[in-house]
Amino acid sequence: MDSLRVVPGKGDKTATVHDTTNSFGLHDTLKYGPRSLSAEVNSTGKIRDRLENWEATQDNLKLQMQRQLFGLHMPMRLMMERKIVSQNPHMPIMPQSNLHLDILMGRDETLECADFMTPASEMAQPLDIHADMEKKLRM
Amino acid sequence: MATASVYSGPGFDFTNEVRNNFLTDRGIPLPKATSTGTTIVGCLFKDGIILGADTRATEGPIVADKNCEKIHYITDNIRCCGAGTAADTEFTTALISSNMELHALSTGRKPRVVTAMTMLKQMLFRYQGHIGAALVLGGVDVTGPQLFTIHPHGSTDKLPYVTMGSGSLAAMAVFEAQWKPNMERAEALDLVCAAISAGIFNDLGSGSNVDACVITASHTEMLRNFVKPNERVQKERSYTFRRGTTEWKKEEIRALVVEEDITHITGRGTEEAMDTS
Repeated sequence: MDSLRVVPGKGDKTATVHDTTNSFGLHDTLKYGPRSLSAEVNSTGKIRDRLENWEATQDNLKLQMQRQLFGLHMPMRLMMERKIVSQNPHMPIMPQSNLHLDILMGRDETLECADFMTPASEMAQPLDIHADMEKKLRM
Repeated sequence: MATASVYSGPGFDFTNEVRNNFLTDRGIPLPKATSTGTTIVGCLFKDGIILGADTRATEGPIVADKNCEKIHYITDNIRCCGAGTAADTEFTTALISSNMELHALSTGRKPRVVTAMTMLKQMLFRYQGHIGAALVLGGVDVTGPQLFTIHPHGSTDKLPYVTMGSGSLAAMAVFEAQWKPNMERAEALDLVCAAISAGIFNDLGSGSNVDACVITASHTEMLRNFVKPNERVQKERSYTFRRGTTEWKKEEIRALVVEEDITHITGRGTEEAMDTS
């Protein structure tokens, strides 16, 4: 937990073929259902894991250094501010933007790919607002 | 209790990744992104920086663009030449140009070349070389003229004369033979044109014309198509057909513009007042 990692590490691939084999060494459809591609593919998504964990790793590095320099209160206060600012009392509607959170995270004056290249699935109209509300309230 | 992520995410969609990995494991290779062959150079002279580039964009063995622009704008006093995948270089330089403008507005100071270099190298390192952009970044700022190269994996060099691209060896041979410090503008421009021409004539991936850009402390001059060593000759004969070569039997003319008459019906005098009770 006290790591000063700069770059995301390798994520372990959790599902393998061996989890679902029967005594013949084949996939046991009766017990585990049909075969799944994501369990059988061996190559890992190196660039995907790296990109998805990049911001979290850099953030952890900064918070860890601040903890070692100033004490536990420093990262604690910063995370508390972020948490306060992320609380959104409204229903989840599109589009959502949180300027205060952007300022705290330091991305209010930069443009990144995520700002203009969101995948089509996330830009779609929310068809199931009940599911969205459930997801939000469970947070 | 799970919290919503405060991070903005990579911005890319990875849903096809499992399928692609499966196909690659089966032996079906991913399609390769086409890489442009290029010759791009940069050199330091007495008053500033000169950047040079050829103007050919290739798609495998075919010339896709005979006169493309490879010297991209970052800020008024900073320019960047791009080699590698054309889309990657254009997108990366446009993104960094926007970020530099925001940074300059935020700090209130003139932008520096090292800022652009740091933004580029951090972005390219994050993508682990998947963004195929090899860049020559040059400019003059308050600290003086600076010239950098940035490789696709994120490594950088600070040098007085640099070349990148498939024609880099031919251009570097010219630089190594003739570069000297504190050259005059005309001399340095001749040297850059000679280096690019070496790339144009000796490398298949580079060709067409020479673009140059002279950056000094006071202003930047973009010399588009400065030298054109590959102009097409005028054809000796005219190959157009004379009118009446093809016989026609019937002529029918249809008017595609629909004519319409507009009659205004004014109801002011005859209308009753709106009932708003």
